[in-house]
Amino acid sequence: MFSRTKTRARVGALALGLGAVVVLAGCTAGDPLAAGSGSSTAGAITIGNQAFPESELLAQIYGQVLAAKGYDVTYEKGIGSRETFIAALKDGSIDLIPDYSGNALVYADPKAMATSPADVEAALPAALESLGLAVTAAAPGEDSDALVVTSEYAATNHLTSIGDLTPLASNITLGANTEFEPRWRAGLNNTYGFGNWAFKAIDDYGGPGTLADLLAGNIQVADIYTTTPSIAANKLVVLNDDKNLFAAQNIIPLLNKDVLTDDLAKLLDSVSAKITTDVLLDLNGKLAGADHPTAADVAKAWLTAQGLI
Amino acid sequence: MNFLLSAFAFIFDPTNWLGDAGIGARLLAHLGITVVSILIALVLAVPLGLLIGHTGRGRSAVIALTGAARALPTFGVLILFVLIGINFGAGLSLTPVIAVLAVLAVPPLLAGAYSGVEAVDRETVDSARAMGMTEWQILTRVELPLALPLLVGGLRSATLQVIATATIAAYVAQGGLGRYLIEGIQLRDYTRAVVGAILVAALALLVDGILAVVQKLVVPRGVSRGATRTTSSTGMTARRPTRSPDATRTPVTEG
Repeated sequence: MFSRTKTRARVGALALGLGAVVVLAGCTAGDPLAAGSGSSTAGAITIGNQAFPESELLAQIYGQVLAAKGYDVTYEKGIGSRETFIAALKDGSIDLIPDYSGNALVYADPKAMATSPADVEAALPAALESLGLAVTAAAPGEDSDALVVTSEYAATNHLTSIGDLTPLASNITLGANTEFEPRWRAGLNNTYGFGNWAFKAIDDYGGPGTLADLLAGNIQVADIYTTTPSIAANKLVVLNDDKNLFAAQNIIPLLNKDVLTDDLAKLLDSVSAKITTDVLLDLNGKLAGADHPTAADVAKAWLTAQGLI
Repeated sequence: MNFLLSAFAFIFDPTNWLGDAGIGARLLAHLGITVVSILIALVLAVPLGLLIGHTGRGRSAVIALTGAARALPTFGVLILFVLIGINFGAGLSLTPVIAVLAVLAVPPLLAGAYSGVEAVDRETVDSARAMGMTEWQILTRVELPLALPLLVGGLRSATLQVIATATIAAYVAQGGLGRYLIEGIQLRDYTRAVVGAILVAALALLVDGILAVVQKLVVPRGVSRGATRTTSSTGMTARRPTRSPDATRTPVTEG
């Protein structure tokens, strides 16, 4: 009697174990982060943002205008790298996300050569078409990847442009997000002749960790985006990209092309037209202020002042 | 595409083992972080554990303390330490990672040390004392050798936990096998994430296996299950003091 219960328990455990293996094996073939398809019906729109403050602010700016015009807006905050949110746009988990023209182009077409704002904007729609994505007019405001050093390091080594770093390249450690390296290592080596430079992955989009590491001297060069308030606040030196490695990075609303309507495009364009680089600097400064306002509040105050809502 | 298969293909491709970001360098970094953290924890925990085991004092306080320490969320403590490091102008360094892993390793080591000494037969200790051994001699020549199997058991579980948890180093811009997990997520290349998981698990099992052998080897000659019973010639084999647990068991740890 006892042994029979035991045997039965063992068979049960074995079945459970096998079941788990089958389920796990099934998991490995699919995409573990894939979400169910979101709503893409007219009038309802899901706006994503990347995991840094400016992106959330822009999501709020576009989102609040759409909400004021009767769209049913939901937000998906803090999506990671471009690799992740492009997939989310494609499968419909989000419909729109604020992005940057140059990086979107390089992602869609790794061989793209365009670097000026106009060329990048012109090349974008065709490149995005194959991914099932669309874009409306780019904003005049830009926020580029920028290689940044401390003012002391710049003074000691007489640095004003990225090219000045070339002789030092084998001694530097460059800190940036994980995806910077696969995206730009070849470019820095080919365009600027950097040799064997060290890379430190700091996944905070040029945020506080990157800044602290730069100031502490753990890294000599950091990728901090040009509209980040910490550049001016810490007297950091932005190295000139005189060979145009980093393409123009104007703000663009990136959409799943199935959701783009004329009405939506008109609304987005009216907002984009007002987003200049100075506006980005000003609003990012407010967002980083001591009173820690939410992105929604900063966006609302600006939109109200602009008469957009 | 099957992530498991492509992950094994990645691991068995020798070119992926080379370079600053290769499996070799990351494996070494992972082991380095583990070894340093464990060494620090050993220095902190073993003397204290031996003292408590020998004197029997402070036992309940330490049990409460180590119990509480096990409830600490390692990741939360790591972020706290990193923020402290940033405040002191150190940037993102390895120090907070080592510190938090050492904190993680202390409770099992402490438990192994004091329970090891406590488990030593009181008759044996009393005999040593009757022979005129000093307290120091009793500790180092009688209690410590007899406590070694349990102490190494504590080392085993501490090491296992630290190897598994050292993956979080990558989250705060440090090296180790956790880089594969972060890269896998950031670059949407899940093969890499699986590579990281497989390598960490394999490393943990390998090191645990080595320590299991060590644990067997450190059992002093003449001490084994049964052996103590048959040698008590008085025939009062059942009259063992209550504290004589199996000398090779591993202290129970969560995690």
